[in-house]
Amino acid sequence: MSGEERKVIVMPCSGIGKSYGAISREAAYEVVDELRPNTTRLVALSLLVLGDEERRAAVSRDPVIAIDGCPKLCAATMAEKSGAGRITRVSVLDVQKRHRELKPQGIAQLNEDGLRMARILAAEVAGIVDQEELKTRKGGDR
Amino acid sequence: MVDLPKKKAGIVACSGEEIPEGTVSRMAALKVLHELRRGDTVTICLPLFLAGGEGDRAFASVNPTITIDGCSRRCAAIGTEKYSARPAVSVVVTDLMESEQLPRPLGRRRLDAAGERVANKVAQVVAELVDEVLGRPAPKESVRPADDHEHEAIVGSCSCGSGIPVLRLTLDGEEYELIAVPAIFDQLAAAGRVADRSVMAELMEQVKIYNSLTVGIEAGLSERLLDEFRLHLERRGKR
Repeated sequence: MSGEERKVIVMPCSGIGKSYGAISREAAYEVVDELRPNTTRLVALSLLVLGDEERRAAVSRDPVIAIDGCPKLCAATMAEKSGAGRITRVSVLDVQKRHRELKPQGIAQLNEDGLRMARILAAEVAGIVDQEELKTRKGGDR
Repeated sequence: MVDLPKKKAGIVACSGEEIPEGTVSRMAALKVLHELRRGDTVTICLPLFLAGGEGDRAFASVNPTITIDGCSRRCAAIGTEKYSARPAVSVVVTDLMESEQLPRPLGRRRLDAAGERVANKVAQVVAELVDEVLGRPAPKESVRPADDHEHEAIVGSCSCGSGIPVLRLTLDGEEYELIAVPAIFDQLAAAGRVADRSVMAELMEQVKIYNSLTVGIEAGLSERLLDEFRLHLERRGKR
C-alpha cells in the first residue's frame, strides 16, 4: 500500500462467529473489487489495531467506512481508537431490519440470502463512497 | 487447580482482509471448528477480542488457544498474547506453505484451488495441534462429532459461552464476573474446608489464578467471597 495513494477505506469487522460477520466481509470485497475498485481500498482491521503505522496514517487521513456485523461495532470502535478522523458506520443488522425476508446462513460459505444481503449492503456502501469522494473534491482535499 | 468443564481449544484466526493468506486462515479455522474438531474447539472472534470482548479474553486466559495467522505480522498471536495469554501454539500460513512446499494461494475473496489446498492443509495441522494441546488422542475418524451434552445450559456460566462456571456479584456498586469460583467452592467443600477465616488466603489464591483483580478490591472481595462460600456450603447442605 503506497503512502501516496489516497482512497476511501472500507473496513469490515469480518467477525467469524456469525453469518453477519461474513456478510460484512463479502460486502467489503464487492465494493473494493467490483463496484468502486479505483476509489476504495481495504485495511485489515487486526493490522490496524496492532499499530501498523502505514494503516494508522491512512485512516487518520482518509475517510473510513466501517462495516459491522453485530451491535458490538468492533470495526467502527477500533477505527476510532486507531485515530480515524472521518468514520461512516454501517451495520449489517440495519440491512437485515429493512430486509426481513432474507435469512442469511453460513459463514465459510454464505447461502444465497446472505450473498444477496451482502450485495444490498455493498450498493449502499458504494453510495457512501461516492458521497465521500464528492466531499473530498469539494474540500479540495485531494 | 479446580475441575472446570470440558476443556476446549480456542481458535483465533487473523482473517486478514488484505491478502489471500488471511482468507486461508479464516477458512482453515472454520474447517477445524465445524468439521475436524467440532465440540473440542470454539471460535474466538479476533475483532471482538481486540476491541475488549471480556468473555473471549476470559476464555483465552483459562483455555489453550491456537492462533492462525496469514502472514509473518502475526496479528492474531500478538493480539492474543497482549490481551489475554500466550497462545499454546501459533501457526503462520506462509511458514507452513514454505515448509510443506505448498502453492501460493490467490483470491482473497474466493480462494482458488491452490488456496483451498493450503487451507485444508492448515486445517489438518491445526486439528492435530488441538489434540496435542488438549492432551487427547486423535479421533479414529477424521471428523470428531459434537458431544451431545456440550450445549446443555449451565446456570452461571461464563458469557463467552465456554461453559466455565462464574460467580457474578456486585461490590461497591461495581459488577464483577469471577471465573471458576463455583468450581473452587466445590473443591474446597469436597476437601472439608469450612467457611471461616482460615480458608480466606487459599480461596483468594485460587480465585486470582483465574481472574485479574483490580488493585484495591482484594480486601473487600475476600470478605465477600467468604460470605458467598458460606452460602454455598449451606446450599450444599440442603441438597
